[in-house]
Amino acid sequence: MQFNSNDSGSSLQSEINITPLVDVVLVLLIIFMVVVPLLMEGYDVDIPRASADTSAQVAESQLILSIGAAACPILTPPAGEGIPKDCQVTLADQKIPVAELPTRVAEILVRRPAEQRALFLAVDDRLNYEGVLRIIDLAKSGVEDLKIEFVAAN
Amino acid sequence: MRLGEPARMQAAINITPLVDVVLVLLIIFMVMAPQMRKGPDVNLPNTTKPNSQGDERGRILVSIDEAGGLWINDQPVAAEHFDETLRAAVGAETNPKIVIRGDAKLNFREVREVMVAIEQTGFRGVGLIAKRAGAEGK
Repeated sequence: MQFNSNDSGSSLQSEINITPLVDVVLVLLIIFMVVVPLLMEGYDVDIPRASADTSAQVAESQLILSIGAAACPILTPPAGEGIPKDCQVTLADQKIPVAELPTRVAEILVRRPAEQRALFLAVDDRLNYEGVLRIIDLAKSGVEDLKIEFVAAN
Repeated sequence: MRLGEPARMQAAINITPLVDVVLVLLIIFMVMAPQMRKGPDVNLPNTTKPNSQGDERGRILVSIDEAGGLWINDQPVAAEHFDETLRAAVGAETNPKIVIRGDAKLNFREVREVMVAIEQTGFRGVGLIAKRAGAEGK
C-alpha cells in the first residue's frame, strides 16, 4: 500500500499535460483540411469571342498591349524572377521597355472610370506562357483593378 | 484506499492513442496536401502576386500538361471531345468558374487554343492559375 501511494505520487509528477497539445494539433488539422482545396491563385482574363468581328470591337479608347516574339524574345521559361530586360513591348503604338509597363499603364488608365480600366493583349503565339503571365502580372502591378482581355490573333 | 484508487484511475481518459491518431492524420494531410489537387502534375508559372481564385465550389479545372495534353478536373481528355466533356463537367453548376492550369513550358499558342475552345462552350472569362514566386521551397 505504501508502495502504491508512492507510485501514484511520482506518476503524477511525470505525467505531461498534453491537453493543450491536442487542442493545437486538432486546430492545425482542421485548418489544413479546410484550406488545402481552396489554395489557388491566378489571373482573371477575358477571352476573345472567336465568332465576333474583332475589328469592330477595337475602339480607339482601348489600350492595346502587343507583345511580339521579335522585340520580346521569351521563347523558353524565363530564369529566376521577373522578365528579361531586353524585352520590349508595344503599348498604344509606342515601343517601350517592359520595365516601364506598370507606370505607363497607370498613367494612361488612372483618369478613366473603373469599368474602363482594361488592357487588351495581343500576344505572339510563339511566346512562352510563363513569360506572358509575368507580363500580365507586371501590368497589373500598376493598376490594381485592371481587367485583362485577350485580342484574337490575326 | 482500495475503493478510492480504482475510481480515480477510471476517471482519467487515456488520450495518448487519440494524440497518436491525430498526429498521424496531421502528417498524412501535410504530406498529401500538394498531391490533393485534382488533375495532373503541372509546373505552374511563377509570378509575383497572383490574385485569389475564389473558393472551390463551382470551380472547373482545365489543365494543360507539359506535352500539351488536356485534362478536365482529374480526367485526361482528347482535344476532339473537349467541348462535350467541358459541358458535362459544368453540368448543373449554378456558378461555374473555369480555371486553366497551364504548364510554364507551354507556348502561348497552346493556351490560347484552349481558351478559344472554352469560349466556344460559352465562357468569356477564365482564370489563369499561377504560383506565387517563392511560395515553395522556402
